[in-house]
Amino acid sequence: MRFVIRRFLLFVAALLAISVVIFAALRILPGDVASVMAGLNAPPERVAQLRSQMGLDRPLTVQYFSWMGGLLHGDFGTSLLTGRSISSTVAMRASVTFPLIVLGLVVALAIGLTLGVVSTLSTHAAVRSVFHFVAIVGGAIPALWGGLLLILLFGRGTGLLGILPSQGFPEAGWDNFGSALTSLVLPALTVGIIDGASLMRYTRSALGEVMNSGYMDQAMACGYTRRQAALKVGLRLATPQLVSVVGLMFAGMITGVMVIENLFALPGIGAGLVTDLGNRDLIAVQSELFMLAAFFLFVGFLVDLLHRFLDPRLKHAVQGGAQ
Amino acid sequence: MMGVDVNKLGISIGGKSIVRDVNVHIGDGERVGLIGSSGSGKSMISKAMLGLLPINAQTEGSVILGDTQVVGADETVLAGLRGRYVGAVFQNPASSLNPVLTVGKQIELPLKLHYDLDKADRQARVSAMLEKVGLDATVAKKYPSELSGGQQQRVGIATALITSPRLIIADEPTTALDSITQRQIVDLLVSLVDKAGASMLFITHDFSVLARATTRCYVLDGGRIVESGNTADLLEHPQGEQTKKLVAAARELTLQRKQNRDD
Amino acid sequence: MTRNNEHSASETVRTNNAPANMGTKASSKFTVVLRSIWRRGEGKFALIVLALWLAVSLLSLVWTPKSLWATDGYHVWAKPSAAHWLGTDGTGADVFSWLMAGARTNLFIAVLAVVFAGALGILLMSAMVSRSSALSNVSVVAVDALISIPTVLIALILAVPMGASVVVIIIACGIGYGLNLARIARPQALLAANSDYVASALSYGASGFSVIWHHILPNAMPTIMVQLSLSAGTAVLAESGLTYLGVGVPSGVPSWGHSLATSVKFINVYPLTVLWPGLIVTIVVVALNVFGDVLRDVIDPVTNPELREV
Repeated sequence: MRFVIRRFLLFVAALLAISVVIFAALRILPGDVASVMAGLNAPPERVAQLRSQMGLDRPLTVQYFSWMGGLLHGDFGTSLLTGRSISSTVAMRASVTFPLIVLGLVVALAIGLTLGVVSTLSTHAAVRSVFHFVAIVGGAIPALWGGLLLILLFGRGTGLLGILPSQGFPEAGWDNFGSALTSLVLPALTVGIIDGASLMRYTRSALGEVMNSGYMDQAMACGYTRRQAALKVGLRLATPQLVSVVGLMFAGMITGVMVIENLFALPGIGAGLVTDLGNRDLIAVQSELFMLAAFFLFVGFLVDLLHRFLDPRLKHAVQGGAQ
Repeated sequence: MMGVDVNKLGISIGGKSIVRDVNVHIGDGERVGLIGSSGSGKSMISKAMLGLLPINAQTEGSVILGDTQVVGADETVLAGLRGRYVGAVFQNPASSLNPVLTVGKQIELPLKLHYDLDKADRQARVSAMLEKVGLDATVAKKYPSELSGGQQQRVGIATALITSPRLIIADEPTTALDSITQRQIVDLLVSLVDKAGASMLFITHDFSVLARATTRCYVLDGGRIVESGNTADLLEHPQGEQTKKLVAAARELTLQRKQNRDD
Repeated sequence: MTRNNEHSASETVRTNNAPANMGTKASSKFTVVLRSIWRRGEGKFALIVLALWLAVSLLSLVWTPKSLWATDGYHVWAKPSAAHWLGTDGTGADVFSWLMAGARTNLFIAVLAVVFAGALGILLMSAMVSRSSALSNVSVVAVDALISIPTVLIALILAVPMGASVVVIIIACGIGYGLNLARIARPQALLAANSDYVASALSYGASGFSVIWHHILPNAMPTIMVQLSLSAGTAVLAESGLTYLGVGVPSGVPSWGHSLATSVKFINVYPLTVLWPGLIVTIVVVALNVFGDVLRDVIDPVTNPELREV
């Protein structure tokens, strides 16, 4: 319990630190946010108007605390370009991105864990080498290229098979469930296959390590066959390590997700952030960056808790050390 | 009853010979030792008997437990022997007892895998077993990492003996322990094996431990058996070079221990 | 300075290298490691690809088949031919020449990102094993928390004030991989920091810096080298992603990510042209990953007996 509290305080501290970094990054712009947003050749009155509209004429600390205060109330500010509340825009975009991440993760876990286990348990050296090759090459594919290849294979219009949509998301969103889901198939496969290949390598090394340990000998000595021991004991013992890997992989996935959203013209958080950045809608960018950072810090916090919960040795090791 | 006959056993891994031409016989209810320095291949022999050799290992010759040929046997046949007719105690319980199972669940596992008993029956047997190895019943709810090294090895012994196997293979069961705990564990193991009327193969590099645990022994050097005979006789009159070294090392160790105790 | 040639194998394993050995020994160690990598089939592949990468990067400084800025107005969308080996890119620029020139940008980015990550990682690692418990606690905690921030997010934050720039990729990758490196190298460093060797060095009055340089760094070096070569591969991948997102290499600068992003436009014209830039990135990243994997095996004196002799 003390660990949970300590780790949570750390999460909050990191969140504050990152908010200061993001806030500062927008304030060290040459000129200031307002003049950048107004664009070159903008009349000074326009810049001044923007500045007061954004509250940039207030002292920095006041600006920071009013921003943070808003965040605490779930108020992310208003986009100066669209005039819409940023929280509602982000919520809409998240309804594309999160299903994409979850589907991608499901594909990655299905591929990575299954093939990783099969290749570790295989008694044929040739099978193991083929899987090793697949894992190394799969993990080295740039997301953009992987997406292009899948479009060339399956994409409607350009693809050889032409069975799946490769552009856009239905206007009606998830109300048009079937169409929304099919438009996420190729993007999720792209992200999932590439990360699945990496996960396969990690599964192999984590499970391989456990397979050579005394725990396996003990499990088999109790009456498990090698395969049973690997599936019932080996996987369980490799789980804490794999949870950490998946947690880190999750953070890495967002790069691929952003690229893929742009390639497949999906109106998600990644594509939206890139658009906002291109439009210099900096109030929106500031809140969106913070939200993403908060999300990943929170995932990191959860992963650490889960890791500890899954491995009783860690708990007792610390207790032992404290004596 | 279960005797063991190892005939012309040879093991190699990746083309490198680990063990050659090994013959070992263990009679019903006999406690036999296998002694050698580290790297002599003794653990590989015990792994061959349990069918636990790494998948890239090549085996020749034969290992017969009771009336089952272990070399080349199907994995399900081997799994049917392990934990039922053959129990194993390993060197370092901290890195062999499943860290995510409670002690009770760990000891219960062989019963669960081989016998069709209801839960209450299994738990009663686990409690009885814990008492036999000198552990408190409350230990059943704890994780191995919460126990001392000696307590962990008692759990290891309980796991090996819960199904009353006919043969116990103990692979350096005391090496990870301090000298006083070593003696307690050896005595516990010997008394339980004798009470059950089981046979035992005891593997070690320490002659002083071997003398307590076994009546007869084989000396292994560089993957071959170099000497065998009555343990007490060998300790008294070692013949071969390797045996002399091992005996000398054991004497030195005993002397040190005595000095430590006198200090 | 004395050269101690009497290091036994086991002492080398503990790699408590005396400072004087670092110069001459480092170079002979380097050749032994290279030779051991070359002797493996997959190691040979990795070395050949990496050498080609370097060669093409250098060559592109003085020669490409077509000038990067010479646009072929008659063939803006040319198929691969004798005149344009891999075709043209829609503005009439020669794809092959741009890929050649891209090699040097990616090499530059990968090398600098790795150098930056190495410096940051070593600094953080040293802080994490520091004898000052305040410093070590703070750095452990900071690394644990910040490691969950994705590289692309760091790049986006940097891109707000800096715009699209090679520097954004280098700093973002450097920070991300540096944090990773510190976390991975920490156990090795901690082992060395708690050794009797370091205790005795300290008792003789060695400074903290000298302990890090002479004792901790040599012990953590194999892990660091392996991790950095894997990071170089990730940097090549990151370049392609960040450039496509518009926060990496600015337009007009050749890079593989740039060529890959341009090839998206090809997809309806000459779909096969899409293959090349991605294929190059994949092969180079595979080579770097394989290099890292082989390095892990051959850099360890326990598994590579030849290293014990130098």
